[in-house]
Amino acid sequence: MDSAASLTQPALWPLTAIVFLPAIVAAFLSLPIVPKARDEFIRWATLLTTAVVFVLSLWMAWPQLFGAAGPAQFKLGEPGMQAVVKLPWIKAFGIEYLLGVDGISLPLVVLTTFLAMLAAAASWPITKHVKAYHVLFLLLETGMLGVFVSLDFFLFYVFWEVMLLPMYFLIGIWGGPRREYAAIKFFLYTLLGSVLMLLAILMLYFTSDLRQLTPEQLLASHVVSPALDAGAQAEAVKVIKDAKAPIHTFNLLALAQIGQLPASPFAATQLWGMSLEKWAFLLLLIGFVIKVPVVPVHTWLPDAHVEAPTPISMILAGVLLKLGGYGILRICYPICPGAGLDFAWLVCGLGVVSMVYGAFAALAQKDFKRMVAYSSVSHMGYVMLGLGVWSAVAGHEYRWDAWAQGVNGAMFQMLAHGISSAGMFFMVGVLYDRVHHRNLEEFGGIFNRMPVYSGLAVAVFFAGLGLPGLCGFIGEVLVTLSSWNYSRILAVISAFTVILTAAYILWAIQRVYLGAEYKGPHGDHLTPITPRELAIATPLVFFAILFGVAPQILFNYVTPSVNRQVETLADWTRRVHDAAPVAPAVAGVPENGTGRTRIESDGVAVR
Amino acid sequence: MDIAAQLPLLLGLAWLAPLASFVAILFFGPRMGPHGRNAAWVATAAIVTSLVLSLFAAGAWLGAHPVLAAHHGDGHHGETLPTEQSAGHDAQSASHGESHAPVAYAGDWYTLYQGGNLRLSIGWYIDALTVLMFVVVTFIATCIHVYASGYMHDELHDVTDHEVHLSGGGHLHRPGRFPRFFQALSLFCFSMLGIVIAGNLAMVFIFWELVGICSWFLIGFYYERKSASTAANKAFIVNRVGDFGMLIGLMALWGALGTLHFADSAATPAAAARPGLFSLVRPASGGHAIRVPDGMVKFAAAAEVAKTPAGEVAGKIDDWRSKGLGRWLLFIAGVGIFCGCVGKSAQFPLFVWLPDAMEGPTPVSALVHSATMVAAGVYLVGRFYPVLTPDVLLVIAYVGAITLFIAATIALVANDIKRVLAYSTVSQLGYMMLALGVGGWSAGLFHLVTHAFFKSLLFLCSGSVIHACHTNDMRKMGGLVRVMPWTAGTMLVGCLAIIGAGIPFVIGLSGYYSKDAILAQALSFAQANPAHSILYLAVAGGAFLTAFYMFRLWFMTFAGEPCDHHVADHAHESPAVMVAPLVVLSVLAVAAGWTLPGGFGLANLLEQARPAGTVEGMAGGFAFGNLVFPAEHLSHEGAIHVTATLTAFTTALAGVVLAALMYLLKIISPAVVASIFKPVYAFLAGRWYFDELYHALFVVPVLGIAKLASGTDRGVIDRIVDGLAWTARQLAGIDAWIDRTLVDGLVNATANATWSAGLELKKLQTGHLRQYVMFIVVGTVALFVLASLLFRTSIAG
Amino acid sequence: MSGNGMLGSGMAMIGPLFAATADGVSVTHYLVVGAVLFTAGIVCMAVKRNALGVLMGIELVLNGANVNFVAFASPYLRGQGALSLGIDGQVIALFVILLAAAEAAVALAITLNFYNNHSTVDIDRADDLKG
Repeated sequence: MDSAASLTQPALWPLTAIVFLPAIVAAFLSLPIVPKARDEFIRWATLLTTAVVFVLSLWMAWPQLFGAAGPAQFKLGEPGMQAVVKLPWIKAFGIEYLLGVDGISLPLVVLTTFLAMLAAAASWPITKHVKAYHVLFLLLETGMLGVFVSLDFFLFYVFWEVMLLPMYFLIGIWGGPRREYAAIKFFLYTLLGSVLMLLAILMLYFTSDLRQLTPEQLLASHVVSPALDAGAQAEAVKVIKDAKAPIHTFNLLALAQIGQLPASPFAATQLWGMSLEKWAFLLLLIGFVIKVPVVPVHTWLPDAHVEAPTPISMILAGVLLKLGGYGILRICYPICPGAGLDFAWLVCGLGVVSMVYGAFAALAQKDFKRMVAYSSVSHMGYVMLGLGVWSAVAGHEYRWDAWAQGVNGAMFQMLAHGISSAGMFFMVGVLYDRVHHRNLEEFGGIFNRMPVYSGLAVAVFFAGLGLPGLCGFIGEVLVTLSSWNYSRILAVISAFTVILTAAYILWAIQRVYLGAEYKGPHGDHLTPITPRELAIATPLVFFAILFGVAPQILFNYVTPSVNRQVETLADWTRRVHDAAPVAPAVAGVPENGTGRTRIESDGVAVR
Repeated sequence: MDIAAQLPLLLGLAWLAPLASFVAILFFGPRMGPHGRNAAWVATAAIVTSLVLSLFAAGAWLGAHPVLAAHHGDGHHGETLPTEQSAGHDAQSASHGESHAPVAYAGDWYTLYQGGNLRLSIGWYIDALTVLMFVVVTFIATCIHVYASGYMHDELHDVTDHEVHLSGGGHLHRPGRFPRFFQALSLFCFSMLGIVIAGNLAMVFIFWELVGICSWFLIGFYYERKSASTAANKAFIVNRVGDFGMLIGLMALWGALGTLHFADSAATPAAAARPGLFSLVRPASGGHAIRVPDGMVKFAAAAEVAKTPAGEVAGKIDDWRSKGLGRWLLFIAGVGIFCGCVGKSAQFPLFVWLPDAMEGPTPVSALVHSATMVAAGVYLVGRFYPVLTPDVLLVIAYVGAITLFIAATIALVANDIKRVLAYSTVSQLGYMMLALGVGGWSAGLFHLVTHAFFKSLLFLCSGSVIHACHTNDMRKMGGLVRVMPWTAGTMLVGCLAIIGAGIPFVIGLSGYYSKDAILAQALSFAQANPAHSILYLAVAGGAFLTAFYMFRLWFMTFAGEPCDHHVADHAHESPAVMVAPLVVLSVLAVAAGWTLPGGFGLANLLEQARPAGTVEGMAGGFAFGNLVFPAEHLSHEGAIHVTATLTAFTTALAGVVLAALMYLLKIISPAVVASIFKPVYAFLAGRWYFDELYHALFVVPVLGIAKLASGTDRGVIDRIVDGLAWTARQLAGIDAWIDRTLVDGLVNATANATWSAGLELKKLQTGHLRQYVMFIVVGTVALFVLASLLFRTSIAG
Repeated sequence: MSGNGMLGSGMAMIGPLFAATADGVSVTHYLVVGAVLFTAGIVCMAVKRNALGVLMGIELVLNGANVNFVAFASPYLRGQGALSLGIDGQVIALFVILLAAAEAAVALAITLNFYNNHSTVDIDRADDLKG
């Protein structure tokens, strides 16, 4: 693409600003002209930056908020990629600066910017190396946002790693007593995941061949920019089509198109007795589930959470865990649909095991924060289950809406958990800041000492408990209901988890907030909630209620994209996966219209 | 305004009014007058608004569908107006004699989730039962709000809680929480009405959980007391156990049928018209007889469907259905939903939470834990009745029978006045479940309504007593009839109502009608199914026990001489604000069961909502043999009716007489009886040791597994991870050693060799010119020699 | 071939020369003289400890070479038609003499300097530059 034209892409500056503004401010703050001692200035600068980024992301997500919608803003109900930015980066390997958002990533971007803003506000009690802390914090935000918006696999990986390092230092320097252990554990776990992911990236890259795609698919996946005029498009397509050697690509959309081809090279290539598709899926899955995390690769989470400072715990639980789910949804399934179908039992099984195991483990914790950490493991299990039932119902009738329900539920659960878990960690942090311990046995009577705080905290914990009217309910119910069609046993186990969830949350509330008197040390420090803390807690509670009462606000964004992807893959299942062994095309429409089939005449349905 | 638009509007507003009150008190409660005194007015105003709106709705309903004298069995149940529910079926069910779907209005206000054809929404399903329940709930709630504004006045100033012992030795001294009580009460009313109006099971589930959490708040109102917060947790968690089953039921329905709506939904721009659960399970084309829906058949026959070409699936469904595929799914769905009801309505085996729930303030016990919330389970069974198969109904009947017996026996020996009432509630709920289970749809729900009146009355009376005596222990009471005549009188009315007192075949209190109906239906069922006649015995025996423990309670509390003069001297009649609700409720406890001349009465109103297909009774069942559910109107006729009424009268009378002998006239000493049946007494006093059993069976293992899971993390997974890290470090050490010794050694050895070679060569550099000349000469000669030897041939050609 | 075994192989290589000068004094004789001078010079350099002796040895060596140059410049050895004045060898010998003179001047200067520093011209004492 002509570079002069490429700089006029409408979304270029908004998206770039969202991703890189924190990094730029971080670079500025790290300059020696900002004196180390000016803590207040650094804090305010960070908070302001995160706020600006939040407003920017909100501007993208909610065009009506600021008057007429511009071309870079999100069009609701449009399932495909929007606000795509495409600039060449490393031409030798076809690596591009390719960004874009759709209904799956945009809510997560807004969640990230929102939580980063609250976490920045929650960082006031940090007094050690304030400058370094905030620089790392802002870098972390850039990394997280970059992962959500990048559509180039290489770029994705770069951001993935960018995120990892600041986290390591934030835990390892500003953490609790066992911070080194926790930080190294976190780092090793995630690094293992990254390495496996890199392997998979390279496998896919070197197997991919853009020449297999039709011109329409090339356009749809932004390999050839749709912004070009027709002549330039045709020329670009011709260049690709006429190439003598395979043209590899890191473009996630193009990889998905290739993966869903009837003659997918990923499925055709065999490697040690399994198709390359399956290898890639498994490697990517391991990389992502470590982040989610699922049992048995979850043990970094409790340690990291317990040791991390409060704002970092909020980010960790609120955003980082979502990256795993997002990766599975955005990368694993579309690119390796066949493997996704064959390994659905694995994804679902891991999800259910995490749900139950995490809930049981939470029940046994004595440390308040550790209990909340295990509740995250349990709640993220719902996400896995919801994503897993997705490709699984391919038995006799293509009930794509049942799958879509699971994925929508998983997406909602991710967003809801982002709010409720960040809130829970913040609430724990408020207490910890005052009494400097987290032993569940040594609390009690907080309700009488800090009534406003306790009211908000109980609301947040109820959101975690999955109480209707609060955000935790919708996702859990949708996922649980959808799982029945996949496996009765898993569905029953997942339903069983609601008992355990109620048990550990209510028990914790009883031990901490209820009761007659406070039993631990530093009782005189239990002062009422400060305005700053109130300003952080209130939005969390507000959104917990808002999304519980009006889930449509989120579903309006999520559902079109998710449904499109699920429908496409359902269609793929029938067209490619099942067409191979058995001849008759199963296109039955269930009598009460619960299933719907969509037959594409040619090619993969355009994402 | 069209009634179809009017009813949702009226009832919707009635439903939302308490929510508004909740929000207002949440934000402004403490600022409402001194100590939030006016919060009571706000909450009461809201619930009165609801009551008025409900009454308007009832009026509108009666205007459109007047209640006539019942014409049982001819298929006429009120009007058969074409409505959303019945419009589609009019064509098929035009001929009289077939049963009609009841008149109902359904629709959606609000969509929570929509993906493809699947939709979860907030909507309404309004029939006669809904309207009736609205009136009953709001009416009782109004009485209780008024009562509570008097009862809770302690909370208007600082409170010293004598049940909480601080570590310092004193009692807890805390500010009052008057507004918070009414805040929770308002939220509860909103949630409860949400269950009643719910148009689909998902919405029921949502408000099901919400009433659960309100109950948690209210039981744990005195949250400083360990016992209260534990009881609150117990209630919620036990309810969640029930909800676990309910979720399974929901999944079975949702997974196979893709809808949770009760009624058919009309076509909207977004979605096509779709049948609801009721018409899927009882299609009008089949005369509303139960049939496993196609979706479930296909779901169960998934393996067959996969082998069948797409076009032929529809044709084979009937074949598969006749093979019995899918009937288990319907059974699971029914039992699953019933599990939720078991939890909420405190049925065996999940009844253990209800007696503990009496830790809450007494108005809460009256409203939440006797009249309304615990009745929600019964209500849901009634609402969901069309989907319940004969096998499920039998399960329900047996659960009800077991519950009513166990609870009644425990009530015999309980000494805490509120616990007696709590067990009596459990027992009465068992009655209702049993009634529903033996086909007495109308009888069960009728008893639900009458019970709501007299049980809330009884609880409020007990609250009045507790308020006066500051103790719950009946052994310390006695003789209170003299100081508290109003309370004693109204409570006597309540006791008479609950035992079903009346002049046989002439007139009676409300319980007389509802209990007779249950007894008659149970007898009718027992006659049709001799194998299950034990159900009838349970009902009859339960009537005896009920009469005994209720009058034991009354005699111990009000009659005789005061047992504890300290208590008796302190006692006083409650203020008018508390007595007035007692009087109002006692009037209803007397009259709620009456049928006015012209046919107007609750029983006939309920008949309007009778589920389609249950008029003529039904038969079927696959798991427990063939079951016959006789039509309910048969139980009102002739022999059965007479037998049942006489049985009820006799058993109740026997119970009262025995109670009088033991506690009023003291002819038989309770202590002697207790010592004769010592093991039995201990067993009953220990409440059948259910708490201990559950603790050993569930709580301990769950905590054990929890410890195990947590231990696995630290002991196994972390060990492995740490071990891997340790191994990596060891490997790194070996690697470092190899680097230092082998690789570096090789490089250093090369360097050393070069160095020493240099040193050696240095020796040749002697500095002696003459030697150099010699070297040159010798070297040159040597070169020549070499060249001549090696290159001779090449040079010489 | 008599006498100089050391150069025997070299003689063998240039064998055809003898045929051309079968009568009287041939180039070989010059070469023998040159070789003798060269060898004497070498021996002189190798055995003398006196720096001046060594210088003399060098002169001998150079002159041995000069003899060879002149000998090879003989017209008998030149091919027909070569464009030459026929005095190439002599010219080179003159250059060598010139160089030898210069070299001797420098060497004598060094020796003088060495003598000033060490009061001797014994080259065995001159090992200051050894490694």
